[in-house]
Amino acid sequence: MTTLRDSLGSLVDDVDGLFLFSPSAAYYERFADADVDRVVIGAENGVDAASFVELPLGFDNVRDRIRFGIEGAMDHGFVAEGDTVVCAVSMFDEGGDADSLVRVRVEESMRSGIYDLFTDSRAEPGVIRDVFEVAIDLGKKGQKGKPVGALFVVGDAGKVMNKSRPLSYNPFEKSHVHVGDPIVNVMLKEFSRLDGAFIVSDSGKIVSAYRYLEPSAEGVDIPKGLGARHMAGGAITRDTNAIAIVLSESDGMVRAFKGGDLILEIDPEEY
Amino acid sequence: MQGGAIREVAETVPLRFWFAFATLVVGIVLGWLTRIVARRVLRRVGVPGAIEGTAFERTAREFGTSTVGILAAIAGYFVFGIAVFAAVAVAEIQYVAQFWNAVAGFLPQVFFAAIVLIVGVLLGDKVELVVSERFRGVKLPQVGVLPLIAKYSVFYLAALIALGQVGVATGALIVLLAAYVFAIVFLGGIAFRHLLSAGAVGTYLLLNQPYTIGDEIRVGDVRGIVQEMDLFVTHIEADGEEYVLPNSKVFADGFVRIRS
Repeated sequence: MTTLRDSLGSLVDDVDGLFLFSPSAAYYERFADADVDRVVIGAENGVDAASFVELPLGFDNVRDRIRFGIEGAMDHGFVAEGDTVVCAVSMFDEGGDADSLVRVRVEESMRSGIYDLFTDSRAEPGVIRDVFEVAIDLGKKGQKGKPVGALFVVGDAGKVMNKSRPLSYNPFEKSHVHVGDPIVNVMLKEFSRLDGAFIVSDSGKIVSAYRYLEPSAEGVDIPKGLGARHMAGGAITRDTNAIAIVLSESDGMVRAFKGGDLILEIDPEEY
Repeated sequence: MQGGAIREVAETVPLRFWFAFATLVVGIVLGWLTRIVARRVLRRVGVPGAIEGTAFERTAREFGTSTVGILAAIAGYFVFGIAVFAAVAVAEIQYVAQFWNAVAGFLPQVFFAAIVLIVGVLLGDKVELVVSERFRGVKLPQVGVLPLIAKYSVFYLAALIALGQVGVATGALIVLLAAYVFAIVFLGGIAFRHLLSAGAVGTYLLLNQPYTIGDEIRVGDVRGIVQEMDLFVTHIEADGEEYVLPNSKVFADGFVRIRS
């Protein structure tokens, strides 16, 4: 007679790494004697783990979270292609210890660019995270209860400014405001009813609002059904080294583009 | 019969002793009230939150009390101490009064010295925490010295003030302090002179924005698009090369805005 433990034990047979997503110190210590390498993936390295991948957003989609962790671990050289890893991740119990085990084989084809989006863009990871948070917040609440759309172009601001033109006077001219500042987030929400794109520099300074982007949209392949805002956002990231974070007015999703490709899709309602 | 005995005892003790006793009781009550009020005020002002995690607070916690408790107790004892002197004065105890007068002049200074020391230790701990928090991202072993220097500077100042308060000669220590401050100002000025001049120009550039992100400018023989500007440097990018120029250079060389 086989017990459940025996049958499910194969999940953790011959693994090369154990990925712990935001573990508590006690949970991390529990695996101290296990003969596998532990990799901690979380917002901060609270357990002083040797192998650590910083998670900029608390991806609600577990698939995105795992993908980010694995891409990050590959980038740091914690795991290599062909390794099998087990991810202990919490899916339902927010902030609690892991409630699910996922066995994944690391392959180069797994790279979707989520990790690159944050760490290998021109803008600083913290800035990208802050813009995401503004977009998600805006998508959740809308502007005065109505759904709004918004387009943020982050990084490579000088080039983006030269590939766009003002639709009206720039409300952020001669002001020195940075994303992530709570009061600025309110300002961004107010200005989101303006047409055009927000342009954010590498260090998070809001350079301009009200910009009409003029990239060449040739050869930009974005999913059908997305409108002009996504097209403009996708195209500008192909022409420059910026990334675009777009909040859709019609379906309320936050999408991120880099190099002309759709990298990440987040539903604000799930945050 | 019994009532008569009590009255006899009451009458043998002079009236002034009764007044002194009453003063003492009032002093105890006032001291107690001061303690409670001080504790509430300190809590309300947010002292426990501000000093959380400092070494002094942790030590205080080990002894089952807290910094706020200690400070409030000192304030309370201070008031009680005044009441004791008042009681002695009221009781007009001759020889004792002579001795107490000398102590009375000295005791408040000791109290203030104690409070200055405690505040100094707290401030030093807090400064250490804040500085090390600031440098947390920098994982260099040498950086660990900076919070300690900041902490002991504050300790030194506090000790100096406390010693001055109780009337110890601190002349030599003050000379040492002067040398220390001079070294910081002078050497700091030399070490940071480039940053200071770049920062001074940076304030002008940021306030007036003669050029902004996206403009094409030329500084010296560097020509390109402005990608980023902050207090100290301007990033200019041309053909995949990003030049980081100190703002002082932008000012010294002048810059050309290229309009096309």
